[in-house]
Amino acid sequence: MSRLPDPIREGLARGWRVAGGPHGAVPDRLACDVAIVGSGAGAGISAEILTRAGLKVLLVEEGPLKTSSDFRQLESEAYPSLYQESAARKTSDKAITILQGRCVGGSTTVNWTSSFRTPAATLDHWQRHFGLQRFGNDELAPFFEQAERRLSIGPWLLPPNENNALLRRGAARLGIATAAIQRNVKGCWNLGSCGLGCPTNAKQSMLVTTIPWALDHGAHLLVETRAERLELANGRVTALVCVPASGEGPATRITARHYVLAAGAINSPAVLLRSQAPDPHGRLGQRTFLHPVVLSAAHFDGKVEGWRGAPQTLYSDHFLETQPIDGPIGYKLEAPPVHPVIFATTVTGYGREHADLMRQFPNTHVLIALLRDGFHEQSPGGSVRLRGDGSPQLDYPLTDFVMEGARRALLSMMEIQFAAGARRVLPVHELARPYLDWNEARRAVAALPMKPLLAKIVSAHVMGGCGLAGDPALGVVRPDGVHWQLQNLSVHDGSLFPTSVGANPQLSIYGIVNRLAQDLARRMGGRDAILA
Amino acid sequence: MRRRSWLKLGIGAAAVLAIGGGAVALLGPGWQRGRLAPAGRTVFTHVGRALLEGSLPANPAEQAAALDGLLDRVDALVAALPPHAQQELSQLLSLLATSAGRRALAGLAQDWPVAPLAGIQQGLQSMRISSLSLRRQAYQALHDITGAAYFSDRGTWPQLGYPGPMDI
Ligand SMILES: Cc1cc2nc3c(=O)[nH]c(=O)nc-3n(C[C@H](O)[C@H](O)[C@H](O)COP(=O)(O)OP(=O)(O)OC[C@H]3O[C@@H](n4cnc5c(N)ncnc54)[C@H](O)[C@@H]3O)c2cc1C
Repeated sequence: MSRLPDPIREGLARGWRVAGGPHGAVPDRLACDVAIVGSGAGAGISAEILTRAGLKVLLVEEGPLKTSSDFRQLESEAYPSLYQESAARKTSDKAITILQGRCVGGSTTVNWTSSFRTPAATLDHWQRHFGLQRFGNDELAPFFEQAERRLSIGPWLLPPNENNALLRRGAARLGIATAAIQRNVKGCWNLGSCGLGCPTNAKQSMLVTTIPWALDHGAHLLVETRAERLELANGRVTALVCVPASGEGPATRITARHYVLAAGAINSPAVLLRSQAPDPHGRLGQRTFLHPVVLSAAHFDGKVEGWRGAPQTLYSDHFLETQPIDGPIGYKLEAPPVHPVIFATTVTGYGREHADLMRQFPNTHVLIALLRDGFHEQSPGGSVRLRGDGSPQLDYPLTDFVMEGARRALLSMMEIQFAAGARRVLPVHELARPYLDWNEARRAVAALPMKPLLAKIVSAHVMGGCGLAGDPALGVVRPDGVHWQLQNLSVHDGSLFPTSVGANPQLSIYGIVNRLAQDLARRMGGRDAILA
Repeated sequence: MRRRSWLKLGIGAAAVLAIGGGAVALLGPGWQRGRLAPAGRTVFTHVGRALLEGSLPANPAEQAAALDGLLDRVDALVAALPPHAQQELSQLLSLLATSAGRRALAGLAQDWPVAPLAGIQQGLQSMRISSLSLRRQAYQALHDITGAAYFSDRGTWPQLGYPGPMDI
């Protein structure tokens, strides 16, 4: 256990207003100015801005309040306690594993700290196709800048770990440009366990930044409490009904002047679906994007130790920038953290072959390619539905268009790994095996059937489902984030995006929600407030 | 293939099972009261042996102990899954524990405890590359749960050359 100071436990001792789970019973009625569902990227930024504006804010989070003292860097503890569905959430055909947070701080508590502004090409596309004229690069820049200052987003000055350095070396040999990734950390110990919760509080997640700030300034937080549905009447939300996440205990009815949904893509649409929210154009829960990810593992003579050191410090946008955004699908390349459980489950095969791969663990290099979905008509994303028990499920058909991109991505990654000196390269696909040279690998991968549940596909970037649009027929919310049909409801999270971002999404959420929350505070008569 | 859930598998497989004289409703579940039921334990013991060959200790007594530990960790892992996933897994395990289900899904003629390791592995391979997405789903569920449960244990890390968390 971390012996370092724990700012959350200190805050609780100072008298933060937190209820739910071990923090005490939640009253059956509550009232506030703004009720926010969730406590992740979008919720955290909204909570701070609205509290700064002098409004009475209440956050409702389904997951537990875990803190640095709980973060023991163990996968066996982190996945069940901090992730949606124990890190085993799947699309309905089970072909894609989805990682999302479910704890105070949401996915920001477990994310890997890569920080990119929304690419200009993406914003251009939104302006052209979704009527989002005010989403220009220059207009958004000040909002990104504030988020960057507030969350200590900046260059990472330590040398990259070997997993990342190999990406740069291999790419350089092939004339493929790589660049450094900015990170949201302060006093980072370079441990490499970002995905398991930061035990040193260096990661500037919502758990240690905006949420403590809001709680210190009077906001109220319910944890282990699920927002079940909104009550609606005459184009307005009249109440938010919540239940204990354990399923046991009485419901709570929250009334507010305004409601903000920030439960993350998949779960925000689900709250609206459970509430039978108006959806005259059939947009709700549609166009959900994942940046479907394919992976390639390689063995090197030297140690790589992909678990050690900051994950994802170098990237390549070569395969995004050298082709049109709305042409064949492009992909971003990164080098992720690698831990035993995630590796054992992701790497294919069984028996001696699998055992062999596991024994090579310290010498294994992993690359991922994030496919930029949503910009082409053959990449319409997935759709969220409810199961009989009301829980959400994402249907995400892996079209041939997407899977051909996945094939190209596997080829690019393998070529880079061989160029970096890999001995053997395994594209992660059930019909592949470790290949000894680039020619053999290229021929094999060109012939692989690129089908769901053969190629391994994962995602940690869920976006869309409550898309922003300048026209009610094209989206769920208006350009100011307010629901087209419900005037006192806003969506402030990753479900806003009308396509995928084409870059790791956290800073896109921070920056865009920062603006939406400032506008909302002003409309509600609050003081002017900025993030930093 | 647009089959969506194990529930559907249940219905489809009911036909298969009818041949064997059973019906899904009559099967013992694979997961019950927060832990693997006997059907689930049998399946995971032998699937575990096959999937983890080469990672498990070779010495029979040590191997048996490692498999016991694996089953305990599968219990913990599955207990943390949401109810819909537990139910699907329970159905999968209960089907795999019947002879008709085992033949239909895993293509395995002999019962788990008597089937040779190579036979079980062949069965797993046939699921893994099957043209039925249902069988591929089943393979991946077994693969992922077994791998996650096994390698989450510190005892396996020396073999991986993984030092574990840094003390802070
Ligand atoms: C392992 C991992 C690594 C990542 N790495 C990066 C990275 O390096 N860089 C990057 O930019 N992005 C990364 N991301 C993605 C990024 O963190 C997310 O895109 C972002 O946090 C999403 O913000 P959000 O507000 O949409 O939702 P989230 O941050 O996911 O927050 C949603 C919250 O709402 C809660 N909730 C859901 N439903 C309900 C309900 N009904 N009632 C109450 N509460 C509810 C959830 O429990 C959750 O806490 C990563 C994500 C993961 C999981």
